[in-house]
Amino acid sequence: MTSPLPPSANRFGWLRDLRRIAFFMSKRLLALFVTVMIGVYLTIVIANMGGQVDELRELQIRSTISEQVRADPAFMQMPSEERSELIETQVLMEVQRRNLDQPFFVRSIDYLRQAAQLDLGRAEEMHSDTGAREVYDIIVERLPATLLLFGTANLLVFFVSVYAALYLSRRYGSRADRAVIALAPSSAAPAWFYGIFLILFFAFLAPVLPPGGMVDIPPPDSRWEYGLSVMRHMVLPVTAMFFSSIFISIYSWRTFFLIHSSEDYVEMARAKGLPASLIQGRYILRPTLSPIITSFALMLIGLWSGSIILEQVFNWPGLGSLLFQAIGYRDTPVIIGSVVVFAYLLAVTVFMLDILYAILDPRVRIEGGS
Amino acid sequence: MSDTLLQVNDLRLHYQTRNGVARAVDGVSFDIRRNEALVVLGESGCGKSSLAKALLRVLPRNINHFGGQVHFAGLDLMALNDEQFRKQIQWNRISLVMQAAMNALNPVVRVGEQVAEPLRVHRGWNKKQAMEKVAETFNKVGVASDFLSRYPFELSGGMRQRVVLAMALVTEPELVILDEPTSALDVLTQASIMNVLKRIKQEDGTSFMLITHDVATSSELADRVALMYAGQMVEVSDARDFFHAPAHPYSKLLMDSVPRLHQPEPPVHIPGEPPNLHNPPAGCRFAERCPSRFDRCGQDPKPITLKDRRKVSCWLHAGEGQS
Repeated sequence: MTSPLPPSANRFGWLRDLRRIAFFMSKRLLALFVTVMIGVYLTIVIANMGGQVDELRELQIRSTISEQVRADPAFMQMPSEERSELIETQVLMEVQRRNLDQPFFVRSIDYLRQAAQLDLGRAEEMHSDTGAREVYDIIVERLPATLLLFGTANLLVFFVSVYAALYLSRRYGSRADRAVIALAPSSAAPAWFYGIFLILFFAFLAPVLPPGGMVDIPPPDSRWEYGLSVMRHMVLPVTAMFFSSIFISIYSWRTFFLIHSSEDYVEMARAKGLPASLIQGRYILRPTLSPIITSFALMLIGLWSGSIILEQVFNWPGLGSLLFQAIGYRDTPVIIGSVVVFAYLLAVTVFMLDILYAILDPRVRIEGGS
Repeated sequence: MSDTLLQVNDLRLHYQTRNGVARAVDGVSFDIRRNEALVVLGESGCGKSSLAKALLRVLPRNINHFGGQVHFAGLDLMALNDEQFRKQIQWNRISLVMQAAMNALNPVVRVGEQVAEPLRVHRGWNKKQAMEKVAETFNKVGVASDFLSRYPFELSGGMRQRVVLAMALVTEPELVILDEPTSALDVLTQASIMNVLKRIKQEDGTSFMLITHDVATSSELADRVALMYAGQMVEVSDARDFFHAPAHPYSKLLMDSVPRLHQPEPPVHIPGEPPNLHNPPAGCRFAERCPSRFDRCGQDPKPITLKDRRKVSCWLHAGEGQS
C-alpha cells in the first residue's frame, strides 16, 4: 500500500506545525492592527462630529476667556476695545495651543497616531478620583472595578452553565432538563431589570445588603474588612447578572452538547466501551473546544466594556458609568480613550483566541497556514 | 453445539417516535458459529443497523422496548448490567465497524491514539505496547504505520475506513460486526477491504456479522446468509443454498433482482414497498407483495427449521420442517 503523502511530511510534524502557526499568527496580527486602527479612526471622526465639535470648542474657549477677563479686577479699568483685543489674542493663543487652527483631517491623523501609542491626552471636563486629568489615568482607575464585577458574574455563569449543560445533555428529557427549558425565557429581561427588584427587596424591604456603590462609606481601613465590604456590595449586581443569563446559557449549551453527542464518533466511542468520563472529555468536550473557547472569549470581550445601565443602577464606579458620564459631559478625549482601550483589549483577546484555536484544533493548525 | 459463538433468540428493539412505536427489530433469532461469517441482507430501513446496535448495546435515547435472549460463548449477555457489558463485552469480545465510517473518527485525536484506546482502556496496556499493536494491525489492514500520528482529516475515505476496521480488530475480538463497511467506497477499495476481511477470517479465526444491502459484495465473504424484512428475519441459510436455491419467496425475488453477467433475461424488481414499521400488518409481513400468497399468510409464520440449520419463516414450507 503506497501512502498518498510523502513520509517526510510527518517526521518534522511539530516543526511544520510551528512554522505554519507563526505565519498564520503574523497574518492575523497585521489584520487585527488594521482593524483596530480603522475602528479608532471612525470613533475619532464620530466623536468629533467630523470636526464640528471644534466650533463648539472655540465658542467655549471664547466664552470662558471673556468671562475670566471681565471678572478680573486687573482689567476692570481697561477700555472695552483694548479688552476685546486682549480677549482675541488670548483666544487665539488657546486655539493655537490646542491645534484648533489646523484642518480637522490633519488633527484627526494626529489623534490616531497618539491613540495608537496609547497617548490618550487630557480630559476636558472629567478627572479621576485622585484628581488626575489624564484620560489614561481615569480609565485605568475604573477598569479594575468593572473587571471585578463582570468577571465574577460572567465566569460564574460560564462555568456553571457549561457543567450544568453537560450534566443535562446526559439526562435529556429529565425533570431538571425540562425545568431549564421552561425557565430559559427569564433571560429576556436584562440584568438591570432584575437588579432593580433585588435592590427593592434586599436593600430596602429587607435591608440586608447595600443598594449600590462598591464599598462602604467611609471605606474600612483594614484590608480584610475592605475586601469583605466590596464582596457584600457585589452580591446584588452579581446575582442580577447571574440570574438574567444563567438559564438561557445552560439551555443553549445543553442543546449544543446534545447535538454534538449524537456525532458518529461519539457513538463509536460508546460502542468501544469507553468510560463515560473519557467520552465526555475526549469525544464531546475536546472536539467542541473551539466554539466553547470562542464563546468564552466573546464573554471576556463583553466584560471589558462593562454595562452602562447595570453600573448606573448599582452606582458601580466602572467603565460603563464612566462612558455614560463622558457622553453626558461631551468629554471627547474620554470617549475616544475608552474606545481605544476597548479596541486594544478586544484585539488582544481575539489574537489570544487565534493562538488557542491553532493549539486546540489540528484542522486549523495544519490547514490554516498552508 | 459447542462451537456456537452467538445465539440470539427473539431479540426485540422498539423505538418510541412521534408517530408511535417503530418495531425496528421485532423477534429476530439466529446464531453464529466460531470462524463463521454471517451476512445479514436487507433493504434500507428493515432494521439491520438496529440489530447491530442492539447486539452491542449502543442504544439511542428513544428506546421503547429492548429484550430477548442473547448468549455469547455461553454467557447470558442480557443478564449483564451496562457496566459489566461495557467492561467485558464491548470491544473486548465483540467489536463494531459502524456505518458512516467517514465520521466515525474523532477529528481532533490522532488516529493511532484512537485505535489504541480500547487496548489502553480495556487491557490497561501502556502507550508503547498499544502503539506497537496498532502498527501491527494497521499493517494487517493495509495502512502504512506512519499514518499513526495523522489526524482523520488528513486521510482519504478508503484509508479512514481501513483505520476504523483496524480499530475493530485491534483487540482481536471473537466477533466483529460490520455495518455496511464498504457502501460509501469505490469498487476497488471495496474489493480490497473484502480481501482483508477474508484473510483475517482465515488467519485469526474471527467470526463476522456483515450487514449489507449489497448482495454481490456479501457473497464473497458469506458462509451463511440471513435475510431481514421489516424488522424480522425471513430466512437464514447456508450461503450456497441461499444464492442458488432461495427458499423464502422474498429471497427468490431478491435473487432475481440482482443483475448477473451471463443472464439472458433482465433483472426483475419487486413491486410494492415494505410495510410501515410503526404498524406492521398481522401475519406474514411480506404477504402483500408475495406472488405465492395464500390463506394461511394472515397468521404469523413461525420459523421452520429445514436441513443444514436452514430456517424459513413461510407457510409454504410448513410441511417440510424437521425438529
